[in-house]
Amino acid sequence: MLLDIQNVEAGYGSAPPVLRGLSLQVEDNRSYCVIGPNGAGKSTLLKTIVGILRPRRGTIRFQGESIEGLRPDEILQKGICFVPQDRSLFPEMTVQENLRMGGFLIRDRRLLRERLDRVYELFPILRDRTNQVAGTLSGGQQQMLALARTLMIEPKLLCVDEPSLGLAPGIVDQVFETLTEFRKQGMTVLLVEQNAVRGLSWADWGFVLDLGALRFEGPADGILENPQIRELYLGRLAARGEE
Amino acid sequence: MTAPTDTTGVPARPRRRSSRGVVLGVVLLVAIALPFFRGLPAYNYVLQLGIVLFMWIAMTSSWNIVGGFAGYISLGHNVFYGIGGYLSGLLLVYAGWSPFATAVLAGLFCLALGVGFGLVTFRAHGPAFIISTIALLLMVTIFFDNWEFVGGSNGISMPLPPFPVEWIKVPFYYAMLVSAVGSVYLAYRIAHSKFGLGLRALAQDETKAEVAGIDTRRFKIAAFALSAFFVGVVGAVWAYSLSYLRPTIFFIIGVAANMVLMAIIGGRGTVAGPVVGAIVLIAVNELSVVLFGASELNIVVTGVILLGVLLFFPLGIVGTLREHGKLPAILDWD
Repeated sequence: MLLDIQNVEAGYGSAPPVLRGLSLQVEDNRSYCVIGPNGAGKSTLLKTIVGILRPRRGTIRFQGESIEGLRPDEILQKGICFVPQDRSLFPEMTVQENLRMGGFLIRDRRLLRERLDRVYELFPILRDRTNQVAGTLSGGQQQMLALARTLMIEPKLLCVDEPSLGLAPGIVDQVFETLTEFRKQGMTVLLVEQNAVRGLSWADWGFVLDLGALRFEGPADGILENPQIRELYLGRLAARGEE
Repeated sequence: MTAPTDTTGVPARPRRRSSRGVVLGVVLLVAIALPFFRGLPAYNYVLQLGIVLFMWIAMTSSWNIVGGFAGYISLGHNVFYGIGGYLSGLLLVYAGWSPFATAVLAGLFCLALGVGFGLVTFRAHGPAFIISTIALLLMVTIFFDNWEFVGGSNGISMPLPPFPVEWIKVPFYYAMLVSAVGSVYLAYRIAHSKFGLGLRALAQDETKAEVAGIDTRRFKIAAFALSAFFVGVVGAVWAYSLSYLRPTIFFIIGVAANMVLMAIIGGRGTVAGPVVGAIVLIAVNELSVVLFGASELNIVVTGVILLGVLLFFPLGIVGTLREHGKLPAILDWD
């Protein structure tokens, strides 16, 4: 098992917890999609896994090792990478500097150089814009850069929060193709997606979150076809996804 | 200066580096040669001006490491100035050691203090951090005002430097010159290092920097400590040049404010900015004193200059020129 979350309670400041005793397991080399209504705790779940939020209770184990309470940089070192909703780019830095930030943990210069070359090979558009300031890229290019950046450290688990947010449908296709490419490279992807139909039809396995706890899990296509889930959680979302 | 190195080994963008090196080398040679021309008109004034200018370049450049690169504005940075001055001064008074020898010690002591203070002050962010540095300054001031061993608020006299009076400014001149060059070189090396990239990242967004794998707390504390070193060194040298230690010389907030002003005028977060800012502000100050006498009109003029810079150069002179691609290669040290 890659990631084992048990009874985690987490939230912001002194506010009531958003995650209320959430437990879920992530297996190696699979793709997951987390769905659920607004406020279900999807983003909070990812932030807790990667150490931006410290769980108030419960355990998080990554490859058998307890990681709850570690700093984000320590968790990244263990092999969990996070692409947040706002894409985590440094808008005032160039494309290349952003990629170097992605590989910040790499001490070996030659390895850094190799990874940079590989990223540029996979994303030629980024090579063309290597000295362009990231904030001036288009939304799609920025999302590509944010995803490409994670390749710099070759994480075992990639947590992506709503990569399709604010992107044109054609660009969304590109984003999902990129995620498929990452899966082929052996990365496990944990995806949070508002566009439930889109996310579930891409992923192997689905998690349904509501009110800070796991309500349902199963093969992604099964969730899409489960009438109860559809009615409870996919209603409006599914309709939107099928437009 | 060495060619810019990039941690990835990627060649830096091509620049007219050789001509820049020549010009900067000539400027440095002139600065080194200046004290040999005793026949210069107003020789002592010129040297004193050099001492003050180099001191402010060293202080502003150091301040810029934490205030510019890391984006944490410290209004208490002159505690290192004063503590450096007091440490070296007291070693002279009570042990007879020359401050020229102990200035480095003062710098290292301030570096260590910087780690300690950083551990406390970096629990705060944004405006709270600024206030915590002011609090630090106030606490240190109260401490020195009441420490009778060092003369309390009346201060303490130091023995005069044992140099012939006609050469008395020369050692101070060179000590400040070395500090200025050293601090700018330090800033330059940081700007071109992975450490510098990390500082710029956390200045833009601390959470993102953390997620990218930066131990932001350690980076900030390291920046704070490194920025304290040369401030302590020039504090020691300056105290000796005055031969007097008194809290109001070092621990008034105007000293820290001056570092901030010079950095903002020149360009916060750039390598050349603090140098440009120090030159501009000191030139303006001297000029207005010459024109209007010691009438404190110079403070008004400084205010007007600051307004003008903020209006027309919102990122400082160097920062704004670079933004518009009009920065002369000679000043492009980033």
